[in-house]
Amino acid sequence: MLPFLLVFPLLLAVALIALLRSSSLPRYLALAATIASLLMLFFIHYGVYNVGWFSIGGAVVGFTASITPVSLLLLVIVLLIAPSIFLYSFGYMKKPSEQRRYYIEMLIFEAAMLVFAMSGNYITLFLAWEFLSFMSYMLIGFYKEKASAARSARKAISTVLIGDIAIIAAIAVIWTATGSFSIGSIPSNPAYLLASALLLCVAILTKSAQFPFQEWLPDAMEGPTPVSAFLHSSTMVKAGVFAFIILYPLFSAAHILYLFMIISAITIVISTLGAAKEMQIKRVIAYSTTQELGLMIFAASIGSITAALYFFLVQSFYKSLLFFSSGSVMEATGEDSLDRTTGLKENRIIYITTIIGVLSLAGFLPFSGFFGNVGIGSSVSSFWVYLFLSVIGFSTSFFIIRWIMLASKKTENQKTKLAYRKMPKSMIVSMVFLSALALLSSAAFFYIGSFLSGSAYPLQGYISALGIRSYDIVIETALALLGLFASYYAFSHNKKISGRLVHMIHNSDIFNALYTYFADVLLAIASGVAIFDRFLSNGFEDIGRGISLSGRGLRRFAVGDINTYVFVLIAAIAAALWYAYALGVIK
Amino acid sequence: MIFVLVFLTVSAMLLIGNLALGVLEKKSVQLAYNILFLIILAGLSLAGLAYGMETTFLNVISINPFSLFFILIFSMGMLLVNLLAYSYSDNYGDFAILSVFALAGMYMLSMSNSLITIFIGLELASLPSVFIILLSKKSVEAAAKFFIMASIAISLLSLAIVLFYGGSGSLSLTNTAHSEMLVFGAVLFIVSLGIDASIFPFNLLIPDVYEGAPAYVTGMLGGLNKKLAFAALIQILILAFIGYRSVFDLLAVFSVITMFFGNIVAIMQKNLKRMLAYSSISQAGYILIGMATASAAGLMGSLFQIFAHAFAFIGILGVVGWLESKNIHTIEDLNGLSGRNRFAALAMSFFMLAFIGLPFTTGFVGKFLIFLGAASAGMAWLAILGIINSVISVYYYSRPIMAAYTGENRGVLKRIKMEKPVVAAISIAIIITVVFGVYPQPLIAVAHNAAVYLLRT
Repeated sequence: MLPFLLVFPLLLAVALIALLRSSSLPRYLALAATIASLLMLFFIHYGVYNVGWFSIGGAVVGFTASITPVSLLLLVIVLLIAPSIFLYSFGYMKKPSEQRRYYIEMLIFEAAMLVFAMSGNYITLFLAWEFLSFMSYMLIGFYKEKASAARSARKAISTVLIGDIAIIAAIAVIWTATGSFSIGSIPSNPAYLLASALLLCVAILTKSAQFPFQEWLPDAMEGPTPVSAFLHSSTMVKAGVFAFIILYPLFSAAHILYLFMIISAITIVISTLGAAKEMQIKRVIAYSTTQELGLMIFAASIGSITAALYFFLVQSFYKSLLFFSSGSVMEATGEDSLDRTTGLKENRIIYITTIIGVLSLAGFLPFSGFFGNVGIGSSVSSFWVYLFLSVIGFSTSFFIIRWIMLASKKTENQKTKLAYRKMPKSMIVSMVFLSALALLSSAAFFYIGSFLSGSAYPLQGYISALGIRSYDIVIETALALLGLFASYYAFSHNKKISGRLVHMIHNSDIFNALYTYFADVLLAIASGVAIFDRFLSNGFEDIGRGISLSGRGLRRFAVGDINTYVFVLIAAIAAALWYAYALGVIK
Repeated sequence: MIFVLVFLTVSAMLLIGNLALGVLEKKSVQLAYNILFLIILAGLSLAGLAYGMETTFLNVISINPFSLFFILIFSMGMLLVNLLAYSYSDNYGDFAILSVFALAGMYMLSMSNSLITIFIGLELASLPSVFIILLSKKSVEAAAKFFIMASIAISLLSLAIVLFYGGSGSLSLTNTAHSEMLVFGAVLFIVSLGIDASIFPFNLLIPDVYEGAPAYVTGMLGGLNKKLAFAALIQILILAFIGYRSVFDLLAVFSVITMFFGNIVAIMQKNLKRMLAYSSISQAGYILIGMATASAAGLMGSLFQIFAHAFAFIGILGVVGWLESKNIHTIEDLNGLSGRNRFAALAMSFFMLAFIGLPFTTGFVGKFLIFLGAASAGMAWLAILGIINSVISVYYYSRPIMAAYTGENRGVLKRIKMEKPVVAAISIAIIITVVFGVYPQPLIAVAHNAAVYLLRT
């Protein structure tokens, strides 16, 4: 079956939702369409599929789908997570007026990610990429009445816009050099190769929120929680990492892998510090996402693509689970700060699923995060890199277990208790489903190597089975436990929130100085980008406002308007004639 | 020979019939008559295109793939504008007569092979347009501004023709001479035709005119009159100045500033029609990119984009005209539109997406061909600037869509209906935009033939 047909149910659902006036039907249509796509996945086979569109002077322009184990992995992830996202939305998105737009945008978002996963040429890749940018802009700014949502959406789009421009420039360079749109085509001219690789690097860094573009992701929390869950786990930000992996041969040929290594290491440090410092739940999880994306890129850039892909898989499940948990907690308590969202124990199921998500992220033994960390750790040969990863592992365990410690405190608020008990069934079911996936994905550790090398494709040479060393198990477990103890000591329910260590963490000069130091040094580098960012988001509007203001002013004096017009006209004619004369055009 | 005679006879019948029916004041009969004859004319041009017709008649009329391509656009476009005018205009009879005269000018310009016929054709098309704007009592200012634009354009054009004649010694477009005077002539051609083609900075009155004129007239001005200026510019520059690389470099400069001007100013617009005016300026910038390459690939892209934009623009102005008649003018007023009229909201969003360049619409294929043409002509920087602009344009094109599909309905919750001819016109525009977006091959072939024909002669 042609892989592109996977998006057909989704687009059909979009059309139906747009045509039908009902506000209760869209949710069922969306869920049914996603499940239909998931079932259609069974009929997809490995291979390269070309769909010609039109031809210009003999050259065929069209779409290519390339189904490899890597793309199949992403397809499976998206199609397993999307149904749970929609199920969760049943309970979460309650206003009838927002139903149709929400489901239309989410379905297109999902379809774009599916096409992205299977893209085999740059035309397909670019279109999917653009749709992802555009739909994420619409979804982050979903509550457009809220000024902060509009601002975040603008920030996200203007960061991502840099990447869009970079990727199109890269495609132009590659096409000029090779005359082909195929993803496998690598320019042979070193200058073209380096230019295209650097441009693609910028595109990937913006999409995956890596340094110095990392700031848009925590701000993108303004959208509805299911959107964040989708955006962080399987779509959008994963597109950058995925593009890095499928374009790996090109980066490898251009010798810029070390660049990815440095940048992802910087991102990991910044976002770990950010997550430890942040008190708003969703922002903590968002910082942890940039950290994990950094880890994936880091792992791939040091050559262990299998470990990166395994981490890619498991992170999707527990990350969307964590977002669901945070969404439920925020829904119940009406708060979004870690120290005020208490009473999690009121609902056993949410409590248990949250613990599963947290322990996965922290890296405890039977949970998938453990295998993810071990997979990366066991492929590292340098001691210093191993040490770096260990420190990060400890910090991750510390900052995420803190949440459980704080959230399981008792609450006195009757309204919150009631809200916990009356949590919609659909939200709970989807959380249980995702925690099952998060648990099951541990087992994938032992199969991913053979799965990824199951068919012939360009990346196959880079794939190797994942190994596990006994001391990795010990170290990883020790780190996670260390984080647990540190967190327990600081935040456990016997102690007041202003306990000594908490105080030290949040208010101490040492920690703040450390964070500020890193932030200052690193963000100083990023400020160059920030200026460009500000220019994009505000600059256009300012210029536009200026021009249109002057236009409005001129219109009031109709006579003056025409005078100006004639004046500008004459000046322009003079300039053009001068150009024609001065540049010696006459041959 | 027979083809030309048949074509001219049908056109003459359209002209005379309208004069007669205008006297009788039978609106619906006149509309039916116009639709019938415009379909015949469009069909004739299609047949001519299919058979690769290339003849000259009495040394002044030249039928070729290029002229037939534009005749097709003008016939079909005028048909849509007629449908819109039938519903929106108070005196459709007057409009029909004037529009047929304008159409005659457009035909003449398309079929011209000398500067004299280009001059007369342009004059014949723009004078009736002034009176068409004047048909609406509220649009006197717009009409006056359009008249000023047209007179400046025509005087500069005559000056350009004089310089050209001085330089080459002939009024025929095929030119082999090289002289300083000719270059100045080329610059003045760009300026004079750039006024109607809305090239920055000659376009400063365009937004006022487009905003002030009734929507269906704006559709005609932006969809047809502007494309007419492009037809003239392409013919003159390619036929007479193909050897002058610097003239085309100048065109590249104009394309960049036109795109940036149109897109940046459009971001801040609150009035929907004014925003569309600026958006059409930026679209003119894309068309200029393809022309600046002076290659078959780029020119083909420009021609495709001219076709694409003509119908999408008339289509969206059909929606805007309906909104205007319901007193909806700004983007904010659009809030909750989908609850009041699904078709209007859907059609408007569709055309906005086509302007952005959504795949499977003509807007995408047109831009794609232009950028590819620029890249393969060694002007990748121009293509990249064009893409940056089309990314910027997402900002303002998405705003009306978001407004139409969210927000509480501020006005009365009553559903409002749309007149049948308007629905027909908008639907035809949508069908054209989708069909040639999904299956662009025939249109690409036609545009390619037209481009190759021009470059060959």
